[in-house]
Amino acid sequence: MAESPAQTAFAEEALTHLDTLYRGALRLTRDPDQAQDLVQEAYLRALRYQHSYQTGTNMKAWLFAIMRNLFWDRFKGSRKEDVSLDDVGEFVLYDKLRDEGAKPEADVLDKLAASEVVEAVEKLPPLHREVVLLVDVEGFSYKDAAQALGVPIGTVMSRLHRARQQLQKGLYDYAVESGIVRGSTSKQQ
Amino acid sequence: MNCPDCKEKLDRYVDRELSSSEVVEVQLHLEACPDCSDQYDFQAHLKRLVKNSCDCDHAPVAFREKLRQILT
Repeated sequence: MAESPAQTAFAEEALTHLDTLYRGALRLTRDPDQAQDLVQEAYLRALRYQHSYQTGTNMKAWLFAIMRNLFWDRFKGSRKEDVSLDDVGEFVLYDKLRDEGAKPEADVLDKLAASEVVEAVEKLPPLHREVVLLVDVEGFSYKDAAQALGVPIGTVMSRLHRARQQLQKGLYDYAVESGIVRGSTSKQQ
Repeated sequence: MNCPDCKEKLDRYVDRELSSSEVVEVQLHLEACPDCSDQYDFQAHLKRLVKNSCDCDHAPVAFREKLRQILT
């Protein structure tokens, strides 16, 4: 595909971000085959639109933006679908566990399996999932996450806050289901 | 800084998004407030847990090679 040494060099640099793109695609599609299709299409598109990449800017964020835009176009059909961002209220796992007499870290976080955490992340609505992936998993700054998502930094912050609330609610439910905490009639949600 | 101010800044503190002067303010409060300090430890632990649980997937070697052949 590359037609010049410059294009080959661009492709090689882009491939250094493959794991980030693959992980993002895997968490968004929740399917390894669909994730590979999505990432391959994203890389082909990136090479086609290489001229729109500004040297010196964050290539990882640029590539992620291409991948997640393809995800919304191809897999979700419409950006208005499945974008429920219902709040769970101010559900704070820490407060809830303390109220129930548990030690939040030792009694709960240390006992959750990685697979349960991944599942809780994958259950987040995609608009929440992607911001958690960027900031918490891939370590993007709010500014770079805003670039990748095409939204203002304030939107990154508000989505991230709500995503974490939902994630904590999901993890609490896992902790109750697996008997890590006893659970109680919830006063919030 | 009081506890509500600290809680309002805790997300950005955990994400290293505060200015250096704000970081100092939060740090001073955390040193003096066990409740906020516990909450910070919990949020930081949760962030590490999410990262460590989700970042262990890597692109399969065969897929990486296939992409390299297609792209370069």
